[in-house]
Amino acid sequence: MATIKGLLKRSPDTPEAPGVHPQALWSFRPRSDREAGDAIVSNLLLHWFPSKVYKPSLDWSYSFWLGTASAALFLLLVVSGLPLLMLYVPSVERAYQSVKDIEYVVTFGWWIRAVHRISAHLMVVAVALHLVRVFLTGAYKNGVGQGQCREWNWVIGVVMLLLTLFLSFTGYLLPWDQLAFWAVTVGTNIASSIPWIGPTVRELLIGGRTIEQATLIRFYVLHCIMLPGALGVLFAYHMWRVRKDGGLAKADHEAVLANQRPVPPVASKTYTLLGVARGTAPTVKVTSVEAPDLTVSAVPDLTRRAAIVVLATFALVSILASAIPSPLEEPANALVTPNPAKAPWYFLWLQEIVTDTTIRIGSFTINGAFLGGVILPGLLITLLTVWPWLDRSSALSTGRWFPKDRRTQNAMFLALVLLVLVFTVIGMFLRGPYWNFYWPWEAWPEIPARI
Amino acid sequence: MEKRTGSPYPKIDRPVLALVGVVLVISTAFFAWSDRQHDYRYYQYQFRQMVAEKFGADLAATTSSGIQQVWVPGLRRADRCTTCHVATNWKGFETAEEPWRTHPVEPLKAHPVETFGCSACHGGQGWAIDTAEAHGEVAHWEEPLLGEGLGESYSLVDNKKALMQMNCNICHRYERETAGADMINHAKKLVQDKGCRACHVVNGRGGTIGPDLTWIGDKAPEQYEYGRLSGQKTAFAWHVAHFKDPRALVQDTVMPNFHFSTRDAQALSMLVLSWKRAEFDVALYPGVARTDPQTAEERKAEEDMRTGPGGWFVQTGCFVCHSISVFGVKSPAQIGPDLSIAVEDVQARFGRTIDDFIREPTGTMSVVLSRQIILTPEQKQVAIEKLRQAFAEYQRLKAEGNAPSLSR
Repeated sequence: MATIKGLLKRSPDTPEAPGVHPQALWSFRPRSDREAGDAIVSNLLLHWFPSKVYKPSLDWSYSFWLGTASAALFLLLVVSGLPLLMLYVPSVERAYQSVKDIEYVVTFGWWIRAVHRISAHLMVVAVALHLVRVFLTGAYKNGVGQGQCREWNWVIGVVMLLLTLFLSFTGYLLPWDQLAFWAVTVGTNIASSIPWIGPTVRELLIGGRTIEQATLIRFYVLHCIMLPGALGVLFAYHMWRVRKDGGLAKADHEAVLANQRPVPPVASKTYTLLGVARGTAPTVKVTSVEAPDLTVSAVPDLTRRAAIVVLATFALVSILASAIPSPLEEPANALVTPNPAKAPWYFLWLQEIVTDTTIRIGSFTINGAFLGGVILPGLLITLLTVWPWLDRSSALSTGRWFPKDRRTQNAMFLALVLLVLVFTVIGMFLRGPYWNFYWPWEAWPEIPARI
Repeated sequence: MEKRTGSPYPKIDRPVLALVGVVLVISTAFFAWSDRQHDYRYYQYQFRQMVAEKFGADLAATTSSGIQQVWVPGLRRADRCTTCHVATNWKGFETAEEPWRTHPVEPLKAHPVETFGCSACHGGQGWAIDTAEAHGEVAHWEEPLLGEGLGESYSLVDNKKALMQMNCNICHRYERETAGADMINHAKKLVQDKGCRACHVVNGRGGTIGPDLTWIGDKAPEQYEYGRLSGQKTAFAWHVAHFKDPRALVQDTVMPNFHFSTRDAQALSMLVLSWKRAEFDVALYPGVARTDPQTAEERKAEEDMRTGPGGWFVQTGCFVCHSISVFGVKSPAQIGPDLSIAVEDVQARFGRTIDDFIREPTGTMSVVLSRQIILTPEQKQVAIEKLRQAFAEYQRLKAEGNAPSLSR
């Protein structure tokens, strides 16, 4: 015990020397700002935080911590995916059975599967909401800091959203039940409606012309290795860019305000390499970035809030996973199409648009798959990607909710989001057999059984 | 040492963090607890008491505990039914309540649980370890337990447990008779007697007027047309209704109404639904027929019909509905009049000569001769000649006083 205490406690004999960290571990309850800053340099996981953060960027009501929640969900997905990786067999003969075993007889198997499933759904929601938040607050715009490149972080964010959707989509197929098989059939058929290259794209995606073993193993490798790997790398880059761009856009906004009032120069130091690179080395006068009355130490104020968000996300997922059973339909059957055959819920707005743009004039049919399934989402993604360069609103509106000069574009954006939501809800709840429209109080035709 | 700059956050954030931590601990405890909630723990405990009471504590200690499984690689099944049905192989609990009842011994002699598992015969979901899931009373499970309850919901005539015989017949399909499968045996006899093979291929033999029925049990329930079926929307209910009155379900069908009784229709429905593919190891059932050959007599009777003087009618397909008794051709369905006296009969029914009628048929025959049996003018001429020969033969036999009795 004495040795552990010795490790944790600073011995009175230890001389305080600059650059020397007398403690082996960091402190959750730093007694000085120096000790608080030390945590950032002495801990691998904490090193991506700045030592000081602007108070407003910790606000619950600014960011809603959606990025942190998304990252927590991603972590949960990786962790819950590992045991599933050992229990699941990616073969068309045994996949379904192995999922049944996970569901019925593996200790905590049903819960691990439910955690994985619920986290996946929530992650799509959280990442999408994060994107909506960043758009509405104009946080993809560069504020007043130097060397900011927020528009590229936005582009990376859009790519990460697409990766999240694709991760979820590839996971859909793995149980090899009817839901999986037909959701993937609908999804890949939309891809095949691209003129000229469509069939090739579909063939590349599913490893053949029918959804078979080749598709399963392809989706499995994508789902377990390539996509999470790519997402992990992009996540690291995304975080690094956030640091490099001076933290949350809200902090920029505050910095501008801070600059407008006289702040007495304080001798301060920076604990970050960035600071040194930018010339804010020790003894340099600080005006805004670390104004003491506007900032708090990242450890423990930021880390505590991050812990709250991460643990709350875990708790929410755990409770939902215990309460909501994960469905498993009949084994995949290429000969029987469930009616209706629905895409995963986050693609239902596309499926709905595909149906609505499919026009029948007599016996002549104009298929909406290309317009609704390719052109429209393609256009939306392109618009999202290039929007930071089209946006002409003032840098002062960066990092604020509902600024005046972003009113029009925010309204347009919200209208689009609302449209997507409406189509999703219609597709989820109001579409029955043959994609016919049913009000919630209207009963669907009975689904026949064998016996 | 520099002082720590004050922060407004810990005051609220610390209790919030503590609260979140407590919620997380509670949720963890909740799922760990719910993972342990299985009825089998109670059933196994209860059975241990029953054995202790009846046979003493020593034997009670040998009762199974925890999840049990019969793994049958040859049938690709892992059945966990014995987790709850603890008494399956125990003697002395024949009259106990389920799930503590001993399994009847007779069927287990040829089908030991260790080799065949449970669900291959009983249906249900062998993977599951909770009642509703295991008995298949859950969404997305297509093979419910073929037990008494299900039999009652179909108002099975006599034996309410008969649905299980469908599963007997998955392995025993090529046998003419299987011990213990009375409904299936009855249905197989009907298939022979009514001559289903006149129109349908079954096991590779039969006519092509109707659909091939060899694997009809694999047809998915979604692929049936239920528009005109009232009551339960299941493949089984569809077949029962269809056997009773084909035209009531499929308006333009040419399948005749055989006026089957409810028992006949239920037996036949079980039989056809049992005609499905199943993967199993043939080593599991030595001595059971694996093909469906005709007997020598059947082969001879068919050969005689095809090569005899009425062979043309057999090959053309007329015999499906019509017997030509004078030529020894017996129709399996017998829904049309005997063609031995067609020359006279057509005149009496339609007021037209046979030549005229065959060239320009009316009524049912106009449909049959334009859809099922399409004849060239030359073939029609052959038909007229053959019918005249038949009639001449009939008159000859009649003069001798040997005229066969004809179905009209």
